[in-house]
Formats: sequence, C-alpha cells, structure tokens
Amino acid sequence: MNTSFHFNLIKEEEMLSPSPVRLRVMLPVLSLLLVAALAVWWMLALTRTHAANQKLMAVKIDIDSLRLSHQTILALRAEEKELAASLRQMGFYTNSLVRFSEALCRLPEHVPADIQITELYVPQPAPPPAPPPKPGVPAATAPTSTFERVSLRLAGRAGGGAPADAINSLLADLRKPAFASLIVRASVPPGAFRQEVARGTGNHNTLLFEIQCECSPRRFE
Amino acid sequence: MGTPFSKLKAGAKTAPVRDVVGMVLGAGFQQGVPAVRLARKNGVDELVAGGFLELPGTLPVTPDDANAMPVGNWQVPRAFRAPHIAFAIHSEQAFLRQSPETGEKGDPHMRSVSRATAPDLPPLTVGLPEFQAAWAARLFPEGRRPTACSIQVAATAAISGFLHNPAFRKSGGNAVAMLVFPAYTALAAFQDSLLVLYREHPVGFRHVREAVSSKMRVDEAMADSVLDDTMVDLIPMIEPVLRPLFRQLEISVDYLARRRDCPVEAFFIYGLPTGFRYWSSLFKRILGQTPVFCRPLDSLAGSPSAALPGTHPLAASYTGQLFMAALGAAFAVLDDNA
Repeated sequence: MNTSFHFNLIKEEEMLSPSPVRLRVMLPVLSLLLVAALAVWWMLALTRTHAANQKLMAVKIDIDSLRLSHQTILALRAEEKELAASLRQMGFYTNSLVRFSEALCRLPEHVPADIQITELYVPQPAPPPAPPPKPGVPAATAPTSTFERVSLRLAGRAGGGAPADAINSLLADLRKPAFASLIVRASVPPGAFRQEVARGTGNHNTLLFEIQCECSPRRFE
Repeated sequence: MGTPFSKLKAGAKTAPVRDVVGMVLGAGFQQGVPAVRLARKNGVDELVAGGFLELPGTLPVTPDDANAMPVGNWQVPRAFRAPHIAFAIHSEQAFLRQSPETGEKGDPHMRSVSRATAPDLPPLTVGLPEFQAAWAARLFPEGRRPTACSIQVAATAAISGFLHNPAFRKSGGNAVAMLVFPAYTALAAFQDSLLVLYREHPVGFRHVREAVSSKMRVDEAMADSVLDDTMVDLIPMIEPVLRPLFRQLEISVDYLARRRDCPVEAFFIYGLPTGFRYWSSLFKRILGQTPVFCRPLDSLAGSPSAALPGTHPLAASYTGQLFMAALGAAFAVLDDNA
C-alpha cells in the first residue's frame, strides 16, 4: 500500500524538461551534425584521394616519357666513366715513364777507354707476385699492383792492362750522383766476370762482364 | 515508424524531485496565486520561498476558454524557479470520491486516477476535466524553470499537506480532519493514519463569511475582520450555516465507530482563515469535542526556514491558511520521490 497521497493527473508526455538543453532537440541536431561532419570528412578524403591518384598518373606519364632519356643518360654516363678511366690510366702511364735518355747520353763520358759496351738491355719486368688469395674473393685477372721494377743490364768486355780496374771504375761512376736519377743500385752479379775465350788464346787479359743496375721503379700513379 | 524522441524527455524525469514549487490554480483569492517552494535536503523540508504571485490563476471553465487562454508563457520570480512545479487545482468540475465504480474513467473528457488508500476500502478516484489538466500542463514552457511535474486536485493536495501536520502525527492516527476550502469543506477520516473515509460538504469559509456579511450588512473584508473579533457574538449567524456540516461530521464519526470500529480520537480543522473561535465553539456544542486548529506552516515545524516574520503571507493568521493546497501539492511530490 502506497502511503503517498500523490494523485497525479499529469500525463508522462506532458512533463517537460526545465533544462535549456533539450535532449530530444539536441540529440537529433548532434546526430545530424555528426552525419554532416562525416560526410564532409568523407568528401575531403575522396577529393584528396582523387587528387593523389591524378598526381600519381601524371608522375607515371612523366616517368614513361623520361625513361628513354634516362637510359640514354645512363649509357652516356657509363661511356664517360669508361673514357675517364682510360684517360686516367693513360695519365698513369705518362707519369710512370722512366727516362733513360739523359743517363744513356751521359754514359759514354764515363766509360773507360779499355771497356767496350757490347750490350745494353732493359729486360721485361717480371710480373709481380700475386697477392695471397682471400677466401670468397675471386682471383684478379688483371695486374693489381701499381708498382713495377725496372732494371738495366750492361754487358761488355774490358781489356788493357787492368781490365778489372776499368770495370770497377765504370761501376763506381754508375753509382755516382750523375746517374742517381735513373740508377738506384749497380752491381756485378756473381759469376759475371769471366775470361773471354772465344777470340783466341792471346787475349787472356780480356774480361767479359755484366753490370746489373736496379733503376727507379715505375709507379702507375 | 516514428522516432521515440519523447521517450528521451521522459527518461530525463527519472531523477528524483528534491526541489519543487506548489501552486494553487482556480482558487480566486484576491491576494493572488498562492505558491510555495519546498526543497528536501537530508530529509528536512525547507521553505525556499512562499507568497502570492501576480499570475492569472483563473481556471478555464470550458474547452473553448482553455483554447483561448494563452499558455506556455508563464514565468515566476527568481526565488520560485525550482526545476518543477506541482499544481493544486480548485475546479467545480473536479471530483474526488471513494467508489468501487469509476465510471468517469471511461469518460474521454475526464482525466482520472484511482488508488486504494486502505486495504479493505474501495479505491479513491480523482478526476479533472481533460481540457483543464491539459491547459495547466502547458502553462510553463519547456526549457525554463519550472515545468509542470504534477497536477492534483486541491483536496488531495491539502490531505498530503495535512499528513505532515505535527499535531496529526502525534495523535493516534484515528482522527477526522476538516479541510476548509472557500466553497466546500472536505471531511477526511483516518484510521491508523490511513484515509478510510472522504466526504465533501458544500459549505466553506466563504459561506460563513457571506452569512456574516449579509446578516451584519458589511462587506466581506469587514466580515473577515468581525469573525476574528470578540466584540460581537456571531454564533447565531454562523450556526445555521455550519450545523449541517457538523451534522454530517457527526454521522461520519458514528459510521466510523460502528462500522469500522474506529473511535475518533482527535478532530482537526485545517485551512480555516478566520473565525476559528466560532467553529470551535459550535463544534464543541454539537459534537462535544474540541477541535485542534492547524496551520499549513505547522507542517514545516523543525525547519529553520519556517521561522517567518508575522508579516509574511505564510505566517499571517488569515493568508497563511490559503497556502494549504499549495504546500500540500509540493509535499505530495516530495513524498512520492522520497
């Protein structure tokens, strides 16, 4: 039994809200605003996507139009690199020239009268030893060193009263500063003195000799 | 399918009402429309504001009148701007009766509510013309304080207020209250504080005033003054008016004692603005009992806000009684949400 004595004759739909913010008005308005905002956002997203697609298409067309030119440029750049490498290599060869002329022109002034130079030979340099193979790295097919030994071999005969002295005099002159620009070291290899026997028995004082000169190395730099 | 946005609004009403204005419509008081604002805080009812408001409190008599009268533009002073308002309506077309037959329920022109007030009694049915209820519901606009949350007939509102009277609460619960309105007096009998009998008698304080006015040939304002004066004995003028009422009360008391085994232990007179001395004297002469005089403001006893100066409309001896229905309407809403 309800002890309240409230006999209320108002209908539920007649009870109005005193709040100035009316939920039944604000809810549809907010819903519409939300839908409108979503529509605007969707339109913006659509517009941006469309613009991005258009830009992508334009870029693709540009790429296609530039592809031939790009390949030509790549080929030219490769050719330019190849030529530049050749030029550089040629520059290395120019830099690596060993000039024998001055020394050879000066040589007659230092050759004693009892010595006859019979041979002046610049041997082909021996290939440098290959570097130890590294695991996983294929062996190089071209020379990898930029350094090349150069040598000069003088051969001749010495006569007179003291042929050995004449040879020693020549050897000493070759070690002088006049030849320092070309010859680094000069020596008579063992066994390079021998008596000449080919011309008969009367020339027992004629000696054949060889002088091995180590020259300044060629540097391909 | 319609969008049920109206349900959202109804959902907002689920919060309990703790602050409400009670207002009387259709009483036709010269002072204005009685209104009180009550707030319940921590179980204590506080009077926030009270007074007569300058509002057109006249009730429409016909549906055409209701359509012609402007609605939705009423406003109250700032002190009365509670979230909700409860109306107590004085209408000659309203009814309140205990009856197993609620024929008015089928009448589309009447809006009615029925509820049993005691376990072994027929339900009490309250009815108000549909156009008057709909008109009252639309007086205050939406989105501005206050808005209508309750429409009651003045008699039920007055009973709600009387149930808060400390004198009644101190009694044993077997009592009869005479709720005096301008045009009629409601007799409400309680057994164990439950309403077991309700009758209306067509004699109100206005009839007493008119009798004095006509017999003494003074205007009604003067008649009210004379009723509170002791210089003239008005019993001979008043007795013919009140005797049928007290006779009716005597019959009701006899009915309660014999049929319901409910000896009445106390009598209360509630809502009488003037002339209590004569009512009490006649009451004692006819029924042999002394009635207890009740004021609406007594229901707020214990609240600091009820300590009002004597000049306040609620505290004044005459006008204070005119707030009986307004205060009761507010109490009914607060009790319903307790």
